[in-house]
Amino acid sequence: MSKVYFSTWRGEAINNLDKPEDAWEESAYKLPQQYNEHAESKAFIGWDGVALFCKDVDVVRLATEYAAQYQVYSEACGRCAPGRWGGRILYDLLDKIARGEGTVADLEHLKEVSKSMQMTSKCEIGKTVPNPLLDLMEHFESDFMDCIDNQKASKHYNKEINYIAKITAPCTDACPAHVDIPGYIEGVRDLRFDDSLKATRQTMPLAHTCGRVCPHPCEDECRRANLDSPVSIMELKRLGADYETDHEFHFFHPAEKKPSIGKRVCVIGAGPAGLTTAYYLALEGIDVDVYEELPVLGGEVAVGVPEYRMPIDKYNKDIEAVKDLGVTFITNTRVSADMMRQFEKEYDAVMIAVGTRLSKKVRCENERPEIEGYWGAIEMLDQVNLWEKYGIGEKVDLTGKTVVCVGGGFTSMDVVRCSIRANAKKVIMIYRRDEKTIIRNTTYEEYHEAVEEGVEFIFHSAVSRMNDENDVLKSLDFDRFELVPDPDGGRPQLVKIEGGGFSKEVDFLIPAVSQSADLDLLPEEWELEMTSWATILTNGKDYMTSRQGIFAAGDCEYGPMTIVNAVGQAKRAASVISRYVQNGGKITLTDDEIMEDHLRKMKVYDKKEKVTGWLAGLPRQVSEKLHVDVRKDNNKEVNLGFTQEEALSEADRCMRCYYIAMVAH
Amino acid sequence: MITFTIDGRHVTAAKGETILNVARREGIYIPTMCYLSKTTPCASCRMCVVEAEGVEGFVLSCQTPPTEGLVVNTHSDLLQDERVNIMRMYDVNHPLECGVCDKSGECDLQNKTLEFGIDRQHFSARDQIRDIKEWGRIHYDPSLCILCEKCVHVCNEIIGDDAIEVQFGGYKSTIIPKNSEQLDCTFCGECIAVCPVGALVSSEFQYRANAWELSRIPATCAHCSSGCALEYEVKTSGAASAGEERIFRVSNNFEYTTLCGAGRFHFDFGADISEGSADISEAVQAIQACDAIRFSSLITNEEALILQQLKERLGIKLYNEEARHFQEFMHAYARKSGQLHYSATLEDIKQSDAIIMIGSRISTDNPGVRYAITEAARHNGAKVSYMHPLEDVLLHNTMTQFVKYEVGTEEGVIALLAQELLKNANVNTEDKAVLDQLDEGYLSAESNVGEEEIADMMASFLRSKKRTFIVGSDVISHEQRENIAKLVGLIDAYSDFKVMVVPKHVNTLGVSLICDLDAEAGGKSVGYNAQGDFIIASSGVRHMSVPALNQQEGTFVSINKQVLPTNVALGFSGHTLNDVASCLGLSQKETIDYTRQLPEGKGFQRIAFDTLENFYDPLGKDRRGYCLQSIATNEADSVLNDVEELPEFNGTVVYHCNPVLQFNSYTASGADEEERALIGSPQFAIAAKISDGDSVEMTLGQHVIRRYFRVDNTLKGTVALNPTFDLPLGAFDGQYRFEKVKIMKVGS
Repeated sequence: MSKVYFSTWRGEAINNLDKPEDAWEESAYKLPQQYNEHAESKAFIGWDGVALFCKDVDVVRLATEYAAQYQVYSEACGRCAPGRWGGRILYDLLDKIARGEGTVADLEHLKEVSKSMQMTSKCEIGKTVPNPLLDLMEHFESDFMDCIDNQKASKHYNKEINYIAKITAPCTDACPAHVDIPGYIEGVRDLRFDDSLKATRQTMPLAHTCGRVCPHPCEDECRRANLDSPVSIMELKRLGADYETDHEFHFFHPAEKKPSIGKRVCVIGAGPAGLTTAYYLALEGIDVDVYEELPVLGGEVAVGVPEYRMPIDKYNKDIEAVKDLGVTFITNTRVSADMMRQFEKEYDAVMIAVGTRLSKKVRCENERPEIEGYWGAIEMLDQVNLWEKYGIGEKVDLTGKTVVCVGGGFTSMDVVRCSIRANAKKVIMIYRRDEKTIIRNTTYEEYHEAVEEGVEFIFHSAVSRMNDENDVLKSLDFDRFELVPDPDGGRPQLVKIEGGGFSKEVDFLIPAVSQSADLDLLPEEWELEMTSWATILTNGKDYMTSRQGIFAAGDCEYGPMTIVNAVGQAKRAASVISRYVQNGGKITLTDDEIMEDHLRKMKVYDKKEKVTGWLAGLPRQVSEKLHVDVRKDNNKEVNLGFTQEEALSEADRCMRCYYIAMVAH
Repeated sequence: MITFTIDGRHVTAAKGETILNVARREGIYIPTMCYLSKTTPCASCRMCVVEAEGVEGFVLSCQTPPTEGLVVNTHSDLLQDERVNIMRMYDVNHPLECGVCDKSGECDLQNKTLEFGIDRQHFSARDQIRDIKEWGRIHYDPSLCILCEKCVHVCNEIIGDDAIEVQFGGYKSTIIPKNSEQLDCTFCGECIAVCPVGALVSSEFQYRANAWELSRIPATCAHCSSGCALEYEVKTSGAASAGEERIFRVSNNFEYTTLCGAGRFHFDFGADISEGSADISEAVQAIQACDAIRFSSLITNEEALILQQLKERLGIKLYNEEARHFQEFMHAYARKSGQLHYSATLEDIKQSDAIIMIGSRISTDNPGVRYAITEAARHNGAKVSYMHPLEDVLLHNTMTQFVKYEVGTEEGVIALLAQELLKNANVNTEDKAVLDQLDEGYLSAESNVGEEEIADMMASFLRSKKRTFIVGSDVISHEQRENIAKLVGLIDAYSDFKVMVVPKHVNTLGVSLICDLDAEAGGKSVGYNAQGDFIIASSGVRHMSVPALNQQEGTFVSINKQVLPTNVALGFSGHTLNDVASCLGLSQKETIDYTRQLPEGKGFQRIAFDTLENFYDPLGKDRRGYCLQSIATNEADSVLNDVEELPEFNGTVVYHCNPVLQFNSYTASGADEEERALIGSPQFAIAAKISDGDSVEMTLGQHVIRRYFRVDNTLKGTVALNPTFDLPLGAFDGQYRFEKVKIMKVGS
């Protein structure tokens, strides 16, 4: 809810023009009324309408500036005749009226050009820029006519006003790393794979990785879903990365690395968050040292995500891209509190990106880690992956063994499918809720592939007790639950079925319920503020902890989440840090970042919007998967990715839903 | 198949066809400004929007495949209004300089402005000052540019240079060289060809003629074996004055075909009769007195047949080492493949998703093959293994694997490939035994091609469905060509690879099919477009001039095994080979009377020259000449030989290889010092004790050649590139292309 003077946002018609301020009708949307802690917004204008927060807005100039911003920002576009010339004509005509030289015929031309842009532009930005302009011309006609009739400049024509614009798209907005998704898909469609990769790497250095193992929240907010089904966004990311790798190009970085500025930042942890921080800091000419406890780089994606989902040679390419910028990596080094005290003095800033690498307990009776056969998911996957990917340690061989995993998320899926590959006799996944929920928590593909490979899923169940003989696990007792619908329509309740329990003889219990952060490295006297779930607290915008110069991002900040979430946080943190080390320790956000946060709060995607100008019914492409018989006893990559033909068909489904939003303050 | 309706007509679409594709096939007109048939849609002009029932708003026909039962309307008042508005926008600030613009008369903007009745500037926007760019042979005027993006698409998707891009900036958008200030490309000029307006024009042609003054002569390019269709544009009317009849430019049907820069820019090779003015009687006497005619493959099929008939009539020898090697190669090949001709065409390469290219620096040897590989790489994501002793930076963005083998070891490398490709094939037991018994360790060690590289190659081909194996002239000219040919023939017959054997010259294939070639020349010789004691030629030092390939009618056999007609673009007032032959008792009046007599046993047909068509139809079907019939052979008596010792090339070695745009003396006029330079890696410079910019003297067999030396940092190893285009026709033509060289610095 926002207090507005006037709004046509998302089709609402709020007009408080003649009402006293206390009788103003409110907007139903979370509009950016307060730009930042220093400034209130005067107006917000975007693809879907316009909102004025006070009376004192020069609507003619507002319209002109919006058209001007479209001109300025059209480097994102300029790709079609109506957008290219139409945008310029809109601006020239509006400015002519605003400076007091317009004619009535100009208004007619504005409407005509607007219509052509709406009907024929290539991307949504060209189609939607006229929308709020037409709204203003309709509802504030007298303001425009005043400038024309009296040949005078609009009321604030020469006044200094800040107009802040931002290009976005529903998918970009939904992506925690705010990847320029229409940009990289256009690169595929145009067969300009280097451009595609550069578009990705602007905000996401791990293109190979997030072209494979991203849970793609973007696809939940793809406008194409309003028409038929969402674009297969995630897999199209592989094309650019594969092009670079297949043709052995030098890395296509989004910008040239700046020369060293003599500032040093230390990053703890070489997982997705650490790598991302290092990448964007290094691009800015900052010297980065990354400390890693494990003997290998990559964090959980390296030692957690199995080879068949994320081949290490591909991930190593992403890591190589970071190394290519001159980042120093120090492996086999567990950072202690003493070292942290030292780092704080030595470096201009410190980033903690240690992830969450402690397996949580399942909370059953007799759950004692010393029992042989009790094996944390993280430790189990470490051993599997260190051997399979790097030949470090020992091969996991589960021949003849029965394995029970308790979980329901991605990690537990990795555990059970790795157990199948380690030749276990029987692999059982225990999950408290139902099939639908496990699919929602992971992906349909992941669940389906696990079932295909022979994992037995037991739903509505939980381990109640571990039974051991001389500290060797022998069997487990289970409780059975039923889901009782909530009469008030809330989430169904799990209720234990009395007498419904059962037991199984097992060799291993692998808890994969969740992970927590190992934060022994934090000096106690720092007294860093923590969240209620024992992760490091930041404000979620600049990622500085309660201690000056100490930043945190990724799972150790957010709790166990996705790779893309870690990347998004770290990208933002790197941007903040790069300014922090250069401007005497001030924490700032750029206008672009402020707008990014406003837009995410408003949500760019509109589930109810009717899509026009596109033919529905073009099928979403599905990439080939390795047959279960060929894959289940080895580490071959399961998802073979799109063929070129499939990729091009899929890229053609993207509607290029770029939008431009602007705040005046 | 999808059934749907366009303008009330029931139509069907195949997989991959868009609404626009189907409309064009059905003859239904939808206007476009940016659509180019041979590339992916640029989708920038938005004029091809159509209405579809049940869909609110317009649908972009160039990019949208139809759905079952869709009802499409291509014309309505609403569509017309928007198309008119798009044209009005295109006309905003477009300079009114049609009077001097090169494109006037063949300009899409002019045509569409007229078609949509735009007779005044309806909209206006502030004009902007834009600098004209001179990019070598290419002149770019951004104020004329409509940003259709055709040039960018064609450069990336068809050529592979990827040398230009759109600098995005809304109204300020412009075309710029990619990754450099100055345009760095192979100057194929395809961007000029596809430009719908006068923004990209040929610097040489600019302001020289108007489109309507030029007559178009459909012909076949004479520079390499791709046999590209082109039109020589000759000024015969308007401002032309007597003696001014010249070729002003070359154009191509860019919608479907592609030309390289040699074809487009090197058209000025007509023979001047004053340079070889001997009387025809001297030529007749020389032939009567000679033991052999030495000739090159830069001749038509008809000329080849005349030479063959002279051989038969006069009992003289025919000597053309280059074509003879090709002939020997294909003969040995046919005995294993069971077919007289190799199986693949350029179209097969374009459709491929897996390609092995071995034994040619293909991007300069045969640009047509390079472009086909580029298309496969871009459009199909083809995995391309390029195997050669020398790096080629032009193939960087098309090849997915570079396999570097040692000079001279082609036989060993192809044997290793054959072993892998035929491991599950049903080849006969003797050949199987030879393949099974290969000394892999030795071959790998000598050729430097490891088991792992071949395994990587096979892994990258795993998902491919259409595969092509291309061999070039390094193997055709190799001493072990016959055994290599057998290996390749087996691959053609028994693996899922189609095979192409790249002929070196424009008519190597035709000559090899028509002439019985002798292994020795001996004694006195007459050169026909080649060296000899008496030289009859259309270029270079000669006794008697004959017409060049743009001055005569006749046919070539292209790499596609297609018999292609070419025509007279320029007049020639002297005598032809047929005139000489007539004096020696051959009976046909015109050279093209021999077209009907080309040997049927080799796949030729008894078709008269004048009935041969020479065009592409509006949907892009090639209607030029005819294709050779495939001929089965049943000489299964040859046995694969063991691959024994592989040759070694130590020390400094040169590779006879031309720079881009250059092939032979027909392309050589106006070549600059850079093009004539010997190009080597920094290591080569050290090994030969020379440095960048030095003048060097090379001793190569009987030839002593002086060149200027250039270091190319993209090359590695001790092999340098030595151009041959500026040497007399036929020099180094038939021999193995790598040669040990003595090199001496003679100046700097």
